[in-house]
Amino acid sequence: MKVENHIIEILQLYEYAMAIGKSLDYKESCDLFLKLILKRKNLNAAWILETDESRLKSTYSVPLGKEIKLKYDHGITELLDKMGDSNIFDANETIASIAPIAIEDGKTAIFNLKEQGLLFLYSKKDNLTTKDLTQLEPVVNKFSINLKACKAFKEQEQLLHNLEIQNQELSDYAHMVSHDLKSPLRSIDTLTAWLKEDYSDQLDTSGKKQIDTIRGSVEKMDTLINGILDYSTIGKDQPESYKVDLNVLLKDVLKMIEIPDHVSIKLPELPSVFGDKYRLQQLFQNLLSNAIKYNDKADGHIEVGFEDKQPFWEFYIKDNGKGIDAVYFNKIFKAFEKLENNRESSGIGLSIVKKIVDLYGGKIWLTSELGKGTTFFFTLKKQLDGAA
Amino acid sequence: MLITSTNIDEIVQSISNHVNEKAALITIGEHTEIEVNNLIEQLNKVELRFMGGIFPKVIHGNSILDKGIVINTLNNLESMFLVKNISTKDYQIPEVNFDADKDYSLFTYVDGLTSNISHYLSELYENYGMQTNYFGGGAGSLTLQQKPCVFNNEGVFMDAAVFSVMTMSSRIGVKHGWSKVEGPFIVTKAEGNVIKEINWKNPYDVYKEVVEEHSGKTFTDDNFFDIAKGYPFGILKEDGECIVRDPLMVNENSELVCVGELEDNMVVDILNGNENSLINAAKTATQDSVNQAVTPSKAIIIDCISRILFLEDNFDKELTAITRTLQDNFPEVSIGGALTLGEISSYGEGFLEFYNKTVVVGLFE
Repeated sequence: MKVENHIIEILQLYEYAMAIGKSLDYKESCDLFLKLILKRKNLNAAWILETDESRLKSTYSVPLGKEIKLKYDHGITELLDKMGDSNIFDANETIASIAPIAIEDGKTAIFNLKEQGLLFLYSKKDNLTTKDLTQLEPVVNKFSINLKACKAFKEQEQLLHNLEIQNQELSDYAHMVSHDLKSPLRSIDTLTAWLKEDYSDQLDTSGKKQIDTIRGSVEKMDTLINGILDYSTIGKDQPESYKVDLNVLLKDVLKMIEIPDHVSIKLPELPSVFGDKYRLQQLFQNLLSNAIKYNDKADGHIEVGFEDKQPFWEFYIKDNGKGIDAVYFNKIFKAFEKLENNRESSGIGLSIVKKIVDLYGGKIWLTSELGKGTTFFFTLKKQLDGAA
Repeated sequence: MLITSTNIDEIVQSISNHVNEKAALITIGEHTEIEVNNLIEQLNKVELRFMGGIFPKVIHGNSILDKGIVINTLNNLESMFLVKNISTKDYQIPEVNFDADKDYSLFTYVDGLTSNISHYLSELYENYGMQTNYFGGGAGSLTLQQKPCVFNNEGVFMDAAVFSVMTMSSRIGVKHGWSKVEGPFIVTKAEGNVIKEINWKNPYDVYKEVVEEHSGKTFTDDNFFDIAKGYPFGILKEDGECIVRDPLMVNENSELVCVGELEDNMVVDILNGNENSLINAAKTATQDSVNQAVTPSKAIIIDCISRILFLEDNFDKELTAITRTLQDNFPEVSIGGALTLGEISSYGEGFLEFYNKTVVVGLFE
């Protein structure tokens, strides 16, 4: 009979243990474990109080009850001092004061959940003994770890949620501000054009030069705003993904870019990728434009290539231009970071490129040697799986 | 009060006279020849509040009836609610304000053939806790076909529950009388009311081996329930009688379909009972409630229909054991009730559970 009782105890423990860790939701985890204990042990209530140096706060209770939020008094401090890892107390006034539900008489078992606070099990009758403490301690420890995981998961979820909101707000803000800025900028451009035209007789060379400077700055600002608009639009809506023939796309891109006579571009037969045509155009156009813009050689060479790196295509755009110092390798992908002051450059082109590659689940990096040239590498997923 | 008339006007008149403007608990035998919707409509016309259920059989005094309506007055009614969508858990338990200085009793009838009844009971306890006693049973048809079976002023519903909270003290006794044949076993896989694995093995193989050896009978294609009705499962509790689950049939995957839900990793025994153990349990349950009661005015018996299927003609003895114990102690008390598809109560006022093959006797002050 003794052996049989042991087997039953072990199996009961197995049932309790298996009820732990089935969920990463705090309340659901508590429900699964604590309601089972109440049922199997014929107990009346369970609750958890979180503790810090001076206060107790309820985080769970079955049955539901009032919220406990109070400072330690003498009685509570004395109770906690007697606690140890677990203990059984008569349901006295002190325990009643920290119970979410009304209790009187009976016994309360308290388990120390360490960082997760204190677990209280209450029985109206006297059916809680030290045997219950010994039996439950190991599973309660496991339960405590489960609660810690629940909290970490919730924090992570909250963090992600906040990040999503902040990103969205930032993107909306940038979009709105850019739009609003474009309108007065157009007015300045028009008015300075009229000024130069209507008052050309009255303006001396210096005046005309200053108006040109104003218009140049306006043009620069317009480029910058367009960059911000582009940047804030990427990822705002889930882009459409369809098969895009890069041979056709690159031909279109090269038609749009002004290629100086001293620069030659070598294109191989390229594969088709999944993505949105406009975004992919932005990606290649920005990289090719940079390769042209920062090429200081009399005989400029740019080469586009790719390799099959299952499950990705790895593309590269190689030039024999100025090269980039390794200290700037990370910096250049951040918005508004420019390595040199160039009126036509918004400083946002490479951030747009990175954002597009990120959007399609790829990676971008570069190798470079000062004076010899730079190679930008990026990957795009070969198969359409929702991300690309 | 028992009503045997099938004339709706007469029934409404009798109920009105009996409850005298108070709320009514209406317990109907499933073969009673009345249109329940019609009864509800007429009761609404006389502005009577009521809740009720349709059961395989009803109990009145020492009689068990297929047809007939048992009426109880719901004295000191505080609130009455209908809860729909029990199976989908898509409901909220309404708030009730309990006075700490008063005794309360909650009486509920639930569609006994719907799923997630345990969740409904868990929600009741989570919301009302120790502020009230709980008592009730599962309604439905003995054909085990789910149909509308619980009702109140809003209509008759399936997959629903009705409950009333009354300012009233009650004393409850619960027992089943089944005892262990073999165990413990672990229900390693269960889904709703289907046991899919016991001890990581096919549940029917495990069950069959134990039951055939104990009973000396052999399972064939068509005698499963005849043997199984005497060999339920018992979910182990550490302090009290186990919770019984009734194996009803073997499905096409050789899994055991039970009445009432089971969960993964439950520890169970295979049980057996006999005429004496069941009748003694009924008597003990009654005695438990009698021992606590002071001046009860009515007794409500919630007895599982499967006990009559097991005891057959001897079920009269079980009912007599109950009624005699009640009458010996409280001769004036009225006795009514139902044979149900599952029984509801809280053992020792603890967490609320859904029982099978059990008798629950409630004495209401």
